[in-house]
Amino acid sequence: MTTETCDIVLSGKLVNGADKDQVQQKLGTLFKTTEAKIAELFTRAPVAIKKSVDVSTAQKYQRAIEKAGAECVLKTQQPPVAKEQQEPSLSLVPMPEQQAEKVEPTGVQKPKKPGYDFEITGQPDYSFLTVQIPANETLKVEASAMATMDTNIEMKTKLKGGFGRFLTGESLFINDFTAANGPGEIGIAPGAPGDLLHQYLDGNTIYLQNSAYVASTADVTVESKWQGMVKGFFSGESLFLIRCSGKGDLWFNTYGAIIEIDVEDDYVVDTGNIVAFTEGLEYTIRKVGGYKSLFFSGEGLVCRFSGKGKVWIQTRSAAAFVSWAHWFRPVKRK
Amino acid sequence: MNIELLHRPGNTAAKVTLQPGETCTAESGAMIAMSGHMEITTTTHKKKSGSLLKAVKRVFSGESIFLNHFEPTDKPGEVFFGTDLAGDMIDLTLDNENLIVQSGSFLACEDSIDIGFGWQGFKTLFSGERVFWLNLKGSGKVVLSSFGAIYPVEVDGEYIVDGGHIVAFNETLDFSISKAGKSWIHSFLGGEGLVCKFKGKGTVWCQSHNPGSFGPLLTPNLRARKA
Amino acid sequence: MNSEQEDLHEVALKGHLSGKIRGSQAFSYVDIDLEPGESLTTETDAMSSMDADVDLTAAFNGGFFSGLARKFFGGESLFISRFTNNTDQSRRVTFVQPNPGEIRCKTLNDETLYLQPGAYLASSDGVKLGLSWAGFISFISREGLFRLKVSGTGDVFYGAYGALLEKEVDGEYIVDTSHLVAYEPGVSLKLQLAGGLFSSFFGGEGLVTRVEGQGKIVVQSRSISGLAGWLNPKF
Repeated sequence: MTTETCDIVLSGKLVNGADKDQVQQKLGTLFKTTEAKIAELFTRAPVAIKKSVDVSTAQKYQRAIEKAGAECVLKTQQPPVAKEQQEPSLSLVPMPEQQAEKVEPTGVQKPKKPGYDFEITGQPDYSFLTVQIPANETLKVEASAMATMDTNIEMKTKLKGGFGRFLTGESLFINDFTAANGPGEIGIAPGAPGDLLHQYLDGNTIYLQNSAYVASTADVTVESKWQGMVKGFFSGESLFLIRCSGKGDLWFNTYGAIIEIDVEDDYVVDTGNIVAFTEGLEYTIRKVGGYKSLFFSGEGLVCRFSGKGKVWIQTRSAAAFVSWAHWFRPVKRK
Repeated sequence: MNIELLHRPGNTAAKVTLQPGETCTAESGAMIAMSGHMEITTTTHKKKSGSLLKAVKRVFSGESIFLNHFEPTDKPGEVFFGTDLAGDMIDLTLDNENLIVQSGSFLACEDSIDIGFGWQGFKTLFSGERVFWLNLKGSGKVVLSSFGAIYPVEVDGEYIVDGGHIVAFNETLDFSISKAGKSWIHSFLGGEGLVCKFKGKGTVWCQSHNPGSFGPLLTPNLRARKA
Repeated sequence: MNSEQEDLHEVALKGHLSGKIRGSQAFSYVDIDLEPGESLTTETDAMSSMDADVDLTAAFNGGFFSGLARKFFGGESLFISRFTNNTDQSRRVTFVQPNPGEIRCKTLNDETLYLQPGAYLASSDGVKLGLSWAGFISFISREGLFRLKVSGTGDVFYGAYGALLEKEVDGEYIVDTSHLVAYEPGVSLKLQLAGGLFSSFFGGEGLVTRVEGQGKIVVQSRSISGLAGWLNPKF
């Protein structure tokens, strides 16, 4: 796998001591665009302003952007398989300007991405999701994850996903948050320390590891899926995956930071580090190396993905944290 | 061997890219993902050298007896490493020198590095650190990990590091168990108790946080366990 | 030996003390460069490293009786540590909170800030720590009968588990009780159920805090109880 291209991502943070207005003004000049449009970009940060550029060009951008006072991150990626079209593309002044046309002129309400307006802050270690729920619409959120909300939002608890969800070890409940009498804002904090990822489903399907689900809009179908005895049993994680399909926004979380891998031929992931993967990937649970490695490597069984698709992995696994935390549990008295 | 550290310092992962013929040695259980054509072998010692005795010593230092060796077949390959707890990583290049590393902080190294046993005397019993240390020797790249962010302190004279915060230090430094400030009583009442005082010239790498301080905060909210 | 160590996400202090908050939101820690004669007061066991000739004295947290009161009612410790630079050159003290998460510095200019129990970390001279009655609401929500009031002129450092998010409240807003970290005197707290009776207890939200008035609140993006709730089913 090669990594000669990367995405230029505006993290939304400012370089120390920089004044937001000034930074936006400078960036506006830099990209020959209006300050308002830059401000709009900031509201959606972290946002990729340019995708799949070669590393040296990306570094040039990064230097220019950071000089203007905004934090800029380069995300290396494998050669893209399917490009997403939603991101606006911005170019430095000396470069051809044509991509910039994709960005809506100012004055128009947000570039019309499908789905709800949302913001993710605190990335990558304590990501926090703020969603604007349109009037009288409903957002499904995993139980106990609500941290803040407007006073006009009403909460209802429903038994979702039936018995299957109960078995996955997840809470039995998903809460419905409805914005009554006008739009409302809700802040969501998952229990696990880590990152949050958003995907807009448009008829495609994503499989989530059993505790990764955070929130989704009404038309996304969330169901538990029996992995089959062999696969599930040996993965040591759970017998179930959560299958998300339909149309709408889906947010899921990780424990630890997130790494996105484009699988081209095959890729091996420790079972405890899988967060989600796209439908269409084949996977088998295997041992690593020889039998000696199986028992002594500390890796045990791994998941071997093959085919073409995306796998999201987390940089930490819950099992290790759980066994550490075990020693801090209070001792039951008889 | 090329090392890239991702997502520092919160939940850092090390992405190691290997050319055919290169080998990376890592602490057992550290692999989180890798290319499909990466070969993994498990031994009790360094590849092609070392002895079982060294492996036994390593166990005393709180490390696993087993090490994993990663080697790509035919074409370049990549492997990601993570740690048990959240935290930072650093990569250092040793140039024919010795580095004393807190056991548990070693993550991975190039094949050319020798992983030995570093006895620091009984004083470590009182330091809040583990009693045994690793001694990394030779020339090549190493990756160390910690709970919390890692920051280097250049010592020239004397410097105090609270017990439980040491990740690694140059062999040119010596440390002793001491008090914070002038008074033993104040050092204890101030919650610092015994601290490590480094002397000499060199670098000590500290971890900002200490898992032993964080754990008890969780206790009131955790489900009780059987004794 | 070369270490390719770049400094990550530093925030330079702009108040009374000079230094930097480092380690990003994940593992914030604070480097303070004390000028000759300067002092820093911290929570006990907060120091992680320092120059060997910095003096440390332990003192009761605001006098013996209020120290006791703070320990038992405010969730803070009985003692505090005072680091003083009695040399004639700048000296460094590095301190940290026991939990991972973000640390922020607020420079008070004859102002007041209320902190939830456990959030206070350190302060410069000129900052007063006091307790004030928080009301029974706070007690019911297991936050204690008293709240920690920091006032005066100087720098105060506070932290929590997770990233810290600021929110300007003007009117009413609902915050899950375990996520509130700090608030300005202009806002008042009220307790209410998250939804209906059934939802509140089976939906996992229980009681929430209704924030009213005008002022800034600081919310943590994770909570220790949320972390425990994630861990507990896995044991």
